[in-house]
Amino acid sequence: MGAPAPAVAADGDLIAQYLAGEEQAAAELVRRHATALARYLAAQGAPDEELEDLTQETLFKAFRSLATFRGGASFRTWLLAIGGNVLKDRRRQWRRTQVVELSPDLRDPSGDPGAHAEAEWAAERLQEGIGKLARLQREVFLMRAQQGLGYDEIASGLGITEGAARVHYHHAVKRLKAWIA
Amino acid sequence: MDRVNEDRLDEALPPALGAALRALDARAAGQAARVDVDRVAARVVERLRHGEVERPRRLLGLSPAALRAAAAVVVVAAAGLVVNLADRSRPVEALQLRAVIPAMDSLSTSQLEAVLEATAQLQPVADTAAPAATGTALDDLTESQLQTLLASLEGAES
Repeated sequence: MGAPAPAVAADGDLIAQYLAGEEQAAAELVRRHATALARYLAAQGAPDEELEDLTQETLFKAFRSLATFRGGASFRTWLLAIGGNVLKDRRRQWRRTQVVELSPDLRDPSGDPGAHAEAEWAAERLQEGIGKLARLQREVFLMRAQQGLGYDEIASGLGITEGAARVHYHHAVKRLKAWIA
Repeated sequence: MDRVNEDRLDEALPPALGAALRALDARAAGQAARVDVDRVAARVVERLRHGEVERPRRLLGLSPAALRAAAAVVVVAAAGLVVNLADRSRPVEALQLRAVIPAMDSLSTSQLEAVLEATAQLQPVADTAAPAATGTALDDLTESQLQTLLASLEGAES
């Protein structure tokens, strides 16, 4: 008979440990959620070269304001909501400095446009469409469709009602469907 | 790695949109996989350990030299060593600032910013009465005295 699998601490336990002074609990929470957070930010158009910094900044801000985390939403949903704010702020800075986001075709001069798969084109087209959505539509859509969160969870994380979350989602789907058609 | 929730897609998304989202998510997952999670964790913990504060927006973009100069102005004002600026006949301000700015070299950027933040609520110098002790130049202040002044300013804010 093998040794029992080690118990996995719940996020809430790790948060409590961190607040009690155990910094390794913070590291564990980062390891647990950083990839999903980065994936969420990347789907919103965060550029490759900024992704790690955006992920780090989001997590740092989250821990700095952990005392305000009420647990209405999961820690991950709360992180995603903070990540949306961080990305929004960073976009403002990019606009001020007139950083132009190059498309993958332009970034790679050796790329052959004809060789791009249809899926890649669809992804690019969808990302453009997501970028044109209102912020709440964009975040609700990705939290729901990409992250698989329920409306109640999304509503708690974004500070809106569940009904509003549903409305934002369906508007987003309608607009994106028209965009990629 | 987490993937797009298939149930959600089947539930609500039109096929073309679902396919596009899967492609987008695959690309996003590839980008996310290049994020070094251990490095992020180490950096976050390091920043938390050092109690790093977010820099006020108004200070972002200032060069260290400009920051030193700004902090020097504030320290001079806080110490009550600047005469009434309305009295244009006295060139003392420039002389004193020249004395203070080199002293600021020994302070870190975060300390300089702390000086500025701590004294953000000071009344404009020109509105204050000229102090009597203007003869005491800041040349006489040692680094430790400056540090003490900084501490007292920080204490005054909290």
